[in-house]
Amino acid sequence: MPVPYHLLQASGSIIFAAQGTDILSFNSSLGHLSTWKYPVKATKTLSEATPGVDAPAEAPPTPEGPPAKRRRTENDEKEAKPGDAATPSSTNGQKKGRFHNKPQVVNISNEKPFINCLITTTNGSHVIAATGSDKTIWAFEHDGFGNLKQLSQRAMPKRPCSLALTTDQKTILSADKFGDVYAIPLIPSAESTLPPSVQSLPSRSATPASVQIPFKPQANDKTVHTKRNLKALENQKISMELSLKAAAEKSAAEDQPAFEHTLLLGHVSMLTAITVAPGIGATGEQREWIITADRDEHVRVSRGIPQAYFIEGFCLGHEDFISRLCVIPNRPDLLLSGGGDDDLFLWKWKEQQLLGRANLLEQVKDLVEPEATKVAVSRLKAFVLASGETMVAVICEKIPAVVLFTLEDEALEHSLTYSLESEGVPLDVELLDNDKLLVSIDTAEGVKPDSGSFLVLTRESPGCWGQQPVVDVPAGETDLNSQELQKLLYTTESLRKMSDFD
Amino acid sequence: MGVKKNKKQKREDYRAAMKQDDVLTMPRKKFYRQRAHANPFSDHQLVYPPRPDQMDWSTLYPAYVAPPEESQQLEAAPSTTEEAPSQEVSAPVKVRRLTQDVEVADIGCGFGGLLIALAPVMPQTLVLGLEIRVSVTQFVEDRIKVLRRQNEETKAYQNVSVLRANTMKFLPNFFKQGQLSKMFICFPDPHFKARKHKQRIVSTTLNSEYAYAVKPGGIVYTITDVPDLHGWMVQHFEAHPMFERVGLEEQEADPCVEIMRNATEEGKKVERNKGEKFVALFRRLEDPVF
Repeated sequence: MPVPYHLLQASGSIIFAAQGTDILSFNSSLGHLSTWKYPVKATKTLSEATPGVDAPAEAPPTPEGPPAKRRRTENDEKEAKPGDAATPSSTNGQKKGRFHNKPQVVNISNEKPFINCLITTTNGSHVIAATGSDKTIWAFEHDGFGNLKQLSQRAMPKRPCSLALTTDQKTILSADKFGDVYAIPLIPSAESTLPPSVQSLPSRSATPASVQIPFKPQANDKTVHTKRNLKALENQKISMELSLKAAAEKSAAEDQPAFEHTLLLGHVSMLTAITVAPGIGATGEQREWIITADRDEHVRVSRGIPQAYFIEGFCLGHEDFISRLCVIPNRPDLLLSGGGDDDLFLWKWKEQQLLGRANLLEQVKDLVEPEATKVAVSRLKAFVLASGETMVAVICEKIPAVVLFTLEDEALEHSLTYSLESEGVPLDVELLDNDKLLVSIDTAEGVKPDSGSFLVLTRESPGCWGQQPVVDVPAGETDLNSQELQKLLYTTESLRKMSDFD
Repeated sequence: MGVKKNKKQKREDYRAAMKQDDVLTMPRKKFYRQRAHANPFSDHQLVYPPRPDQMDWSTLYPAYVAPPEESQQLEAAPSTTEEAPSQEVSAPVKVRRLTQDVEVADIGCGFGGLLIALAPVMPQTLVLGLEIRVSVTQFVEDRIKVLRRQNEETKAYQNVSVLRANTMKFLPNFFKQGQLSKMFICFPDPHFKARKHKQRIVSTTLNSEYAYAVKPGGIVYTITDVPDLHGWMVQHFEAHPMFERVGLEEQEADPCVEIMRNATEEGKKVERNKGEKFVALFRRLEDPVF
């Protein structure tokens, strides 16, 4: 199956596009410049990404210790071999019949480390990418002509979901699936690049206090009261002694990544988006705020480093998951948020004031899919066009259209729903040459299989855009079948809570 | 099997009987038992308001509902002119306001011992218990209902109520910034396994949310009988720049500490087993300048 370009990121006149596990660069006329390929060897040394087909999919040892988190796989039953040390949890799961009718979360056992975030520094000197299944953040140096030189490769404790850069462009903020935000320096150096006043908060998953005395049962006969629990405590003590040896081999170094990383803040929910917005602080100085969004409808505004522990407020109002945040480039006091709700929300984030909502579902129903009952925003970007207008481009997952809004006087006005029904499903959108929109398309979803992976939209007049396909771009191939590819490309709708369907 | 069904049937009958309006006997715990642990990360079937101002408190504190004209006045107060009150774009839900806000929260109130003990101590303050387990919440609800009925003429226990909620996820949906003056975390689930530590109700990242909900100068009370958990809570609160630990002298002078030690259900259980109880109080510091 050919892999479409699922992420686009413009930097000056260079366009970076992620195609599966690779990053390609193009010039503004979409001539291919260079390709960075995901190192094949690294997949093996990083392990976890490529266990054999029969081997149980097993996450690397998590800081929590022994029973490693298992990924559910389609051939779960087959894998649960008796005596297999890594599958006790699945045998338990089989006993408990009540979990059986739960919808199985299907995870490809040898999930490809698809690139799920791609950002660049404002001056274009660096490109940062994150790959999903191996939880790695990659930093590249960009020579200005599309060539990437890999600087570092850092495996995070949990899977990064969204990346942002601080306004000084020196620190990468990584929001992960576990709900934590880590700061890591763009360029790792011997000495700390963060101000010394920033101390890392103790993590929820790492416990310095208990690591020193790991083999002492924390309960005692005073704290457990029932007969069964007392019995369990006895057993716990015995097994603690037995596992002493095995656990002693596990060094503390394994628990934490070796590179500099600082826990800044955390939600008790999967984070889906992070962005940094500049503003003026109480003392009149230039400051920045970290804005994070999670699956549980929260948009949290925290202060920037070094006061990221202070929550300024929440932008509340969403009634379904949030998947994307976007600070308006020429109006950094304004924030857009979108996700599983029918509407886009426009906020004055510093005051946590909702300025307005723009209905997306109606636009989609009007022009593209009259039967649509819900939308899931997969891309939300704001561009300042050459004319000075602010254009907001929205892509909803699996909806063959790009919905365009203009921002006028702190209000969103629907400008156009550009239907791509014959071409396919748009995956990402970027600004090209300050007045054109570059759309990447999953042509497998369209009716014209030969239409290009890219489409350039040129505005002829307000409300009228001309299109021009770009055919001559390298097509990436993969051994994934179309079903597996779908699962990797379309992940937004899965954020919706199951109870919504009940 | 037959015995089990019988038990379930009894439970249902009992709960149905408790729904009657004239019940004056206290609910019995045995009909409300539920597994002691709930996964805070799962979605559950939770009901929570999108934002605190859309929370309908009137059913929880019926004695404190503001009369309609007063609530209109309150709403109109900020904008003195005749124009329509500056309604939020997203507030179609008209909720009946209370005359005052909830100021004390008991996170994970369990069977509600602390709530019941606090009610007469702070009669002018609204106290809310939050509990994630459905049956246990129902028990506390029935308990408060009966207590209110038994004390109809004194109007006691009108200031306490209980709510089913996952506070680890949805605290900011219920409380505005700095709304709480006291927050209790009593005998939380210790989550002994290191793997489960991320489910603990106290962690530095979560403490940021507690700092958000508690006003400067407000106190977070913690108590546990597990020494390691005590160490964990102290470590994580002390590591948080928005909290400082309250000194021992001040701690022992606080009347709430004594109630927390002796009135909570867990506290009584630990007492019976002659276990130790570890108390730590933390003060929410002033907002830092930014």
